[in-house]
Amino acid sequence: MSAEKYVKLPQPQDLSEREKEDAMGAYLMMFAALATSLPLPIINLIAAIVYYYINRKKGRFIHFHCLQSLLSQLPTTLVNWGLLFWALQIFFFDNFEVDDWFYAYLGFAILANLIYFIFSIMAAIRARKGIFMYFLFFGSYAYHRVYGASNELNYDNEKLQNPKTQKVNSPPFL
Amino acid sequence: MKLTVTYQERYSRSELLLRSIFGVFYIVMPHFFLLIFMGIWGSILSFIALISILLTGRYPESMFEYQVQLLRWQLRVNSRIQNLSDGYPAFGLNGTDEYTSLEIEYPERISRGTTLLRLFFGIFYVILPHGFILYFRVLWGVILQIYAWVSVLFSAKFPESAHTFLVGTLRWQYRVNLYMGNMTDVYPPFSSKEEV
Repeated sequence: MSAEKYVKLPQPQDLSEREKEDAMGAYLMMFAALATSLPLPIINLIAAIVYYYINRKKGRFIHFHCLQSLLSQLPTTLVNWGLLFWALQIFFFDNFEVDDWFYAYLGFAILANLIYFIFSIMAAIRARKGIFMYFLFFGSYAYHRVYGASNELNYDNEKLQNPKTQKVNSPPFL
Repeated sequence: MKLTVTYQERYSRSELLLRSIFGVFYIVMPHFFLLIFMGIWGSILSFIALISILLTGRYPESMFEYQVQLLRWQLRVNSRIQNLSDGYPAFGLNGTDEYTSLEIEYPERISRGTTLLRLFFGIFYVILPHGFILYFRVLWGVILQIYAWVSVLFSAKFPESAHTFLVGTLRWQYRVNLYMGNMTDVYPPFSSKEEV
């Protein structure tokens, strides 16, 4: 991958306060379940998806952080769903008999959530300062998607870079 | 904050009747259906803004704008439900209205200390005292609404004092909501007047 294929990264002084705040907000979507008082793992993911679609066109910096935040939620959400289903199975079908595997998975889930929480807070604080933080796997993918030259999305804070010739109307009979 | 609902010289009797009989179907249900979802998103953003204030001391501007637009939408609907304005309230966050307006100044900074104070003790020093007065204002407002309804039906005029009172109650509620929603650090005055 050569550097020419990517759009130049903005430096903190190039970004507006609003862009930085919106980028930070993407990571704070992990608190959405708390806000709705519904402890369902899917709430955070839905909130992140909604936030992504509302904000992605505002600017590349915001788009990058929204995408990275959304993608980084996926594994934690899956782990939490797994935990929820397992716990419900024990509660309803296994007569509260808990084996060691469950405790191991519980520990794993807590650790995964803790790591996710710490990294998200760190990323939120850095985004607020206009600094990039790349998560493992997701960071480079999000960078490639957003800052890659192949990205055809038109951003509100950039000049129209990819004006497509719109051919919508045509006569009824040809 | 500046909340106004324009007092009309004449009110439409037919619209009043239409609203009274079918308003629940063509105003309340469609608007409330959408406002529920917008409100859920608004409460999520409000919580995120709370965390953001604690971290940075600022209410994120785009979230603030969303809340203001949502409040404007609610005001448009409220003023029709209470027969304070004629016409149909516009849908959407960017909807405009010729009779209602709500302007809220964006605060550059929000005090973290006050935010924590609100979070833990807001119920005691905001909700309880203001809620106590607002409860009686709302009760009196219901009586005034009935009186105004009859007045509009027979004379096409909304009693101006009743209009002022009802708009004042709305203004008061909005001020409390703004303060409790961390959108301002100014403690809501115990007054319904526009300029305090």
